[in-house]
Amino acid sequence: MENKHITIFHGPQHPGITGNMSIELDLIGETIQKATTHVGYLHRGFEKLIERRTVIQAFTIVCRICVPEPDPNEANFAMAVEELAGLEVTLRAQYIRVMVLELSRLAAQFLWMAGQSGSIGLYAVGQWAIADRDLILDLFEELTGARVYHMYIYPGGVRRDLPEGFLERVSTLLEYMKKRLKDYDDIFINNASFKSRAIGVGIISKEEAIANGYVGQVLRGCGIKADVRKDAPYLVYDELEFEVPTETAGDVYARALVRRAEMDQSIHILEQVVTKMPEGEVMIKMPTHRKFKLPKDDTWVKVESARGEFAYYMAGDGSEKIRRMQVRGPSLVHAYTLLEDLLVGAELSDVALIMNSLGICPPEIER
Amino acid sequence: MKWSVDLKGTLSPLSILTAFWQKPNTIAYPAVKKETAKGYRGFHTNFLADCIGCANCQDVCMNDAIDMIKTDKEYNAKNASQCIPRIDYGRCCWCSLCTDVCPPDSLKLEGDYLNVTKHASDFLYMPKDK
Repeated sequence: MENKHITIFHGPQHPGITGNMSIELDLIGETIQKATTHVGYLHRGFEKLIERRTVIQAFTIVCRICVPEPDPNEANFAMAVEELAGLEVTLRAQYIRVMVLELSRLAAQFLWMAGQSGSIGLYAVGQWAIADRDLILDLFEELTGARVYHMYIYPGGVRRDLPEGFLERVSTLLEYMKKRLKDYDDIFINNASFKSRAIGVGIISKEEAIANGYVGQVLRGCGIKADVRKDAPYLVYDELEFEVPTETAGDVYARALVRRAEMDQSIHILEQVVTKMPEGEVMIKMPTHRKFKLPKDDTWVKVESARGEFAYYMAGDGSEKIRRMQVRGPSLVHAYTLLEDLLVGAELSDVALIMNSLGICPPEIER
Repeated sequence: MKWSVDLKGTLSPLSILTAFWQKPNTIAYPAVKKETAKGYRGFHTNFLADCIGCANCQDVCMNDAIDMIKTDKEYNAKNASQCIPRIDYGRCCWCSLCTDVCPPDSLKLEGDYLNVTKHASDFLYMPKDK
């Protein structure tokens, strides 16, 4: 009997998947004919949970929307609350926020490097990347009291001031990272195995990227210079010098090169933050959580996460609770429109490779 | 079919061999233990001589992880309710909002974070008095 068509599930339990989601693949031989994304394994109902809590209580939930990079969520939440409540954050707090966001971006890129290299069997790179990411998590532990879910960027500022000697330790780490990233170029970015697997795979055109609203490295990998930090500067990004790296090929390798160049830019930003860090308070006086009320108004804020534009819609109704909060991360459109489209015609062994290059994080989809 | 060899790309990954002479990043756990940073958010402690039993910590906890438990002993004359907080570590998310709102600053988080037990009821944790 001829068994030409095969349907398999790639995930939710699969080392090449970027979280608890699955892709249903229709195959002929090794070639994918149709891909269908299935989510629902990770639904925790963040948006609904937030509606049932006071503003201050809700702040502790948002970091859980993205495990590899929780801080853009905290920053978005705090910025939305501050905009609605008309709060002015001190300059020092803004600089500290930028430092946390950039350290978090660097940590997220290391995690991406671990996933991307693991997807093609270069496991040594992954182990190095996880170890180097841990050095950043050590700094987070010292600054925030936690390694992954920091719960640090708080409406009105940040929860703690910098520990003594912290900026020196950041500088030491940055010097180490600058040297260390060259090793990653040798064993991963310039590796012939990676190039042969990544070049010409998962190509996205400029027109398609604009028409479908893709963000982050997907957009920059096909030559579009778009970055929220430059296009709509928030915090103190307009006072800092940095480039927005782009590539033109639009394939997996182009996106990897963009990410690698962004790591250099994050280090450059962090060096400036360390030099320019002003003195002052880190937190303004805030009312207690039962007395803190949001006016009847709504707002839309966005930041640039390590995977692209991350936006929050927030509406208040005059009470101490948030009437509605909507999360718009990069993953929704990347995991449905883009991934389902890119996988058609690709080989089965390229699924994890393509998926990792898009920066998909399932909790953002099922928020 | 045209063959081309990426010589640099083939040889450069061999630099990984130099890692054999590098000191590993890992530590020999459990023989060597890593100290938690100062200010790490681990288990709760409650200095009972200062605790006034106000239940602010219970009120702010978004996970309903804190219960105020009546005690027979009088730890603090100002604690009129004679209630002290008990934490449910099946619910706690270590956000530390409870310690932020504590008026006498008696409730704190310490560096200790390991609790191995056979009984589910041990999740209900009375903070150490310190």
